[in-house]
Amino acid sequence: VLLYVLRRIVQAAFVTVGVSIASFALIHLVPGDPVRVSLGTRYDPQTAQVLRHAAGLDRPLVEQYLRWAGHALRGDLGVSFATQQPVGSAIVHRLPATLTLAGAALLVAVLIALPLGTIAAVRARTPVDYAATAISQVGVSIPDFWIGIMLIFLVAGRWGWLPPSGYVSIGQSFTGWLDHLVLPALSVGLVSAAILSRFVRAAMIEALAQDYTRTARARGLSQRAVVVRHALKNALPPVVTVTGLQLAYLLGGVIVVETIFAWPGLGRLALDAAQTRDYPVLQGAILLFALTFVVVNLLVDVLYALLDPRIQVR
Amino acid sequence: VIRRHPALLALALAAVAAAASAAAFASRPATAAPRAHATPAAATIQRGGTLVAAISGEPQGFDPQKTTAYASFQVLENVYDTLVEPGANLQMQPALATSWTQSKNHLTWTFQLRKGVKFQNGRAFTSADVVYSANRWRAKASQVAYRLAAVKSVTAKGRYAVVFHLKAPAPNLLSAIGGFKGLAVVPKEIVADNTIGRHPVGTGPFEFVKYAPGDEIVLKRNPYYWRTSQPYLDQVVYKIVPDASVKTTNLTGGQVDWIDSVPSQSLKSLRKTSGVKVASIPGNDYWYFALNEKRKQWQDVRVRQAISYGIDRAQITEAARAGEATPNQAAIPRTSTWYAPISPFHYNPAKAKALLKAAGASDLTLDLLVTSQYPESVAAGQVIAAELGQIGVKVKVDSVDFGTWLDREGKGDDDAFLLSWLGNIDPQDFYYAQHHCGGADNFQGFCSKQVDKYLDAGQKTTNQAQRKRDYAKAAQLIVKQASYIYLYNPDVVQAWRTKVHGYAPRPDSAIRFRTVWVGK
Repeated sequence: VLLYVLRRIVQAAFVTVGVSIASFALIHLVPGDPVRVSLGTRYDPQTAQVLRHAAGLDRPLVEQYLRWAGHALRGDLGVSFATQQPVGSAIVHRLPATLTLAGAALLVAVLIALPLGTIAAVRARTPVDYAATAISQVGVSIPDFWIGIMLIFLVAGRWGWLPPSGYVSIGQSFTGWLDHLVLPALSVGLVSAAILSRFVRAAMIEALAQDYTRTARARGLSQRAVVVRHALKNALPPVVTVTGLQLAYLLGGVIVVETIFAWPGLGRLALDAAQTRDYPVLQGAILLFALTFVVVNLLVDVLYALLDPRIQVR
Repeated sequence: VIRRHPALLALALAAVAAAASAAAFASRPATAAPRAHATPAAATIQRGGTLVAAISGEPQGFDPQKTTAYASFQVLENVYDTLVEPGANLQMQPALATSWTQSKNHLTWTFQLRKGVKFQNGRAFTSADVVYSANRWRAKASQVAYRLAAVKSVTAKGRYAVVFHLKAPAPNLLSAIGGFKGLAVVPKEIVADNTIGRHPVGTGPFEFVKYAPGDEIVLKRNPYYWRTSQPYLDQVVYKIVPDASVKTTNLTGGQVDWIDSVPSQSLKSLRKTSGVKVASIPGNDYWYFALNEKRKQWQDVRVRQAISYGIDRAQITEAARAGEATPNQAAIPRTSTWYAPISPFHYNPAKAKALLKAAGASDLTLDLLVTSQYPESVAAGQVIAAELGQIGVKVKVDSVDFGTWLDREGKGDDDAFLLSWLGNIDPQDFYYAQHHCGGADNFQGFCSKQVDKYLDAGQKTTNQAQRKRDYAKAAQLIVKQASYIYLYNPDVVQAWRTKVHGYAPRPDSAIRFRTVWVGK
């Protein structure tokens, strides 16, 4: 297993470097640059020239990349054009909000998807299954931000039960933290739940049809024991994979939901950076997203190997 | 506007009349004019408390000489002071400078500085700070250097006076140094330790406490503030709420006390909400679009005039602003002292078609650059597209993000670009750089020697009545030759909880909280 993990780590490193090169090139290909945006509509070419030179933007692209990569390897992601804040600390600043939302949304997703998917599988091709399928179809088709807008409009606006937007850290106030978290976590979590429940259902149906399940039944185990202890346990590996990918997606920031809920997460940091062409921040954020995907994938694979001993190094 | 707010308009008119007789431009010392907008009677003011204000944008750093982001200046307006500042009527009033004189040849201006002023870090403010700041305003990497092109040098004269030495007379010097907080007086120590971009320190009513990116900015009362009775609030918290309708929900729910703008679709319901006050006043910004004269098909003045005849400004205003704007064929709004009535065009598709025919232009297509950053530009663009379709011009509304918009405007990669200009006070702000041959902001490539003659005259003459005539003549030509096709002046629409007192929206969209107090 160790060799397998090592090989996966080396692959992951290559992927990360590849992503950083591709994103660096793409970011610089987009029209406009940070100096143009920061000067706004009043554009003075001489001032722009001075600023571009000071920022090293007049250097060849390859040189700019190598300089960035050299610093990045030493843990220095540069300084934001707009705020002069170190990129590393700008990102770290956004982590608590992002982790909170991703974690809460995933919790919502798993809590809904596991029971929903399992029931649908056990009662496959009955009205219960069709209802569950319909619910998750609707969930998959509705964009998360639409759910968010509706929740804000009804729960916060009409009924006044919860605040419409904003973020309170758990250190500031636990109830404030929870109050502000519920609506965005639901908006994102419901969609993830819909996706996840389809996988749970499929995996469970497959597991329920296996010989070991029939054997378990034949041994006279209760339906509950068969479903939970035998079928569900064996259905987990593919579900873990999808859950992991969902987590990586959530950590990458759910840009529109963060914008609607004024949630100070990484997605909005990246969006603002993209709009102002704040290259260092954008590059740092993309690097982090890439790393998250790579690391989560790696962990999922390792977990997979542990859950399913048949997966071996080859 | 007039219909809904007779009181505000009367106030504005009174202020304009008062300003006409004020000494702001005269060569004798200016007297400290009283605050033009009504401050609440002292007895009713309740001190203390926090104002929670919702703003839409994310600040892009807090260095007033580096950033141009409106969100940054929503904060900086309350942290920094300038030498002079626009009153409610946009005439320049004393601030850090108490009075000023000009030499006979108009080439040196001497400003007397206020004594006993301290920065928020407790250090005394002197002429050395103004000299230091002025050099920073005029530095090569400064965003505001263009405003001081006429200045040769700035020197101290003792501890409490500074002298501006000019290359040429600058009749608009006061609005150049006071019309925008980018010319804030900054203490050199925060430049030296490189914290100016993250933690501004000024002489203004509120002291910067913290910025949590994506979330909030917190200011607290400056105990050293030189208007000793102000500010009334202990604290101002700016909440960053990017989505306009969520911002409104926060106001109606009472999570925030004040919002910086009201989306037009929420106006009606917000006006009916109890506990909320909506205020709308005519603003100094203007929206326009300009045909790219670097492309051959837009070089014929008749074609540009046809486009101007082919649009219905009233309808565009209704669609883009739900009527919260005043259609205008020129840039300067009716409420300004510099207003000159100019309206050669009226909506006339038949005349537009005739002009196109006379110019031999047929099958015209027009790639109109607008930006998703300002949905208003997209709405205006769509109406323009529909209307120009009627006269046989096929318009493609090209909605891009702002960075791309700026890039393509700069490169001339469009048939026309549509946007607005903000924060204009002096007529030079409105017309010079946009329409002078080779002007810094003349991206449409307009050039007329006649216009230049009037623009140059207006830039130099110190006779203000003559200046007004010069700019009116320049504007007439600019409008008639359709260098810009002007659309409207938007209203400044803001809303707050009724417990908020002492706030008034300003035509320059600057946000000042020093006179605000919150009822219990």
